[in-house]
Amino acid sequence: MAAVPDPMPHPVRRADTAYLDFVEGFREYLLGKGADFEDRLGEALAAEEQRRGAPMRDLDEICRFLDSLPLTALRNRLARTQQEMKWHRIAGAFDAQRTELAAELARHDARGPGRLELDPAFVHPAYVNVQFHLQPGGYYHDELSGFLYHYGTKVFFRGDNDHDELHAKLVGFVPKPADGRVQRVLDLACSVGQSTTAFKARYPEAEVIGIDYSAPMLRTAHRRAVMLGSDVTFAQRLVERTGFPDAHFDITFAFIVFHELPLRIIHETVREAARVTRSGGIFAIYDFTETATKSPFQLYHRWFDARHNGEPYSQDFCDCDLDAILAANGFSVAAAPVGQRSGGAGYMKHWFATRS
Amino acid sequence: MIIQTHAETPEGGTPIAGADPVYLADPLLDASVRMLVELSAQVWVERERRLTLEALLESRGLLARADIETFQPSAEQAAAFKAERARFIEDVFKELRRIPVESASREGR
Repeated sequence: MAAVPDPMPHPVRRADTAYLDFVEGFREYLLGKGADFEDRLGEALAAEEQRRGAPMRDLDEICRFLDSLPLTALRNRLARTQQEMKWHRIAGAFDAQRTELAAELARHDARGPGRLELDPAFVHPAYVNVQFHLQPGGYYHDELSGFLYHYGTKVFFRGDNDHDELHAKLVGFVPKPADGRVQRVLDLACSVGQSTTAFKARYPEAEVIGIDYSAPMLRTAHRRAVMLGSDVTFAQRLVERTGFPDAHFDITFAFIVFHELPLRIIHETVREAARVTRSGGIFAIYDFTETATKSPFQLYHRWFDARHNGEPYSQDFCDCDLDAILAANGFSVAAAPVGQRSGGAGYMKHWFATRS
Repeated sequence: MIIQTHAETPEGGTPIAGADPVYLADPLLDASVRMLVELSAQVWVERERRLTLEALLESRGLLARADIETFQPSAEQAAAFKAERARFIEDVFKELRRIPVESASREGR
């Protein structure tokens, strides 16, 4: 039996891989029971609430309290440091292979199965000019942005998504339209196309299209899909202005997209999804939980992540009422299934909305 | 190429921290923590490589462990070790250049 191709880019130097393995393990230690920051600071908050005799929901108040604790400062220092170390090493590792990796992309651009549709006249809107998650060059300024992102998310998911397990699981959760018809699927802001190919694996007869504003991401996605033999299309388009015909898709999917959009674009994107999703079709979203359901520590973490991890729009997303925005655009939202989550409990959520 | 790394965002939202935020009571402490984590990573990289090499060499019958203790590098090897040592020191202690000359205010809300 032929070996399954591994489209994950890897550093060629053993020392880079070992270094990044360390960062992955260190990240696990910081976020989990090793350093136990979340539970310990959560307990401190609970004790403070008890002392005050009132719950703490105001972010300024929570920040004032947590910022007064040396443990918070150290936790923040370490969280920022591991992220900086990760990107510094990945960027250095792939920069050393720049010529080969660029040639690797070029070699796959015109290959099939599947198609790559880049728009030479594409204009990036101002709001995307952010170093999301502190990724050097952001999502589109470096030809190798897709490779950096793919390996960066490998470290981020701490070994849980080395072979796209998370994407396969999340795509598996998306309900079929009630009439069972799935002929076309749209993957919004598909990055390196992991959910795009997962949809194709689930619905082999369907036409599956992933769109993104980043040409480097799309080229990386196309190379990956070619290596996997997945017949999907990647196109350079905006989520808020896809250019597809009305009612074109049976399923529209947005995996951790909305928290990287300004509020104005969130509204436009839902409106656009309503336009391109056919009646009875599904709009599936997986993203951060809303502010109202977060614990005080989670509220603090969201603010920290927004300010110190290049997520400037995430706070506004968590504060907005996505259910109401969906409803105002002709979607009915089913109750989000409990337990179908990845990442820390309470941080992530599904929305499964049906187009009326 | 202009990348947004400072407090202003292209379109509202939460202001982004600058390139070198200070979290602890003193920038020197921030640098110390960064160096400690960097050093830990470097130690792991070396340990992983040594474990790999020892496992390979031993499995092929090429190494008596005592040979490591008595090894004397050639002049060429010694020069290569020295250059590697300089890289190691730079990796760990590059943080020293990030300590601002002026006192900085601590990050917080």
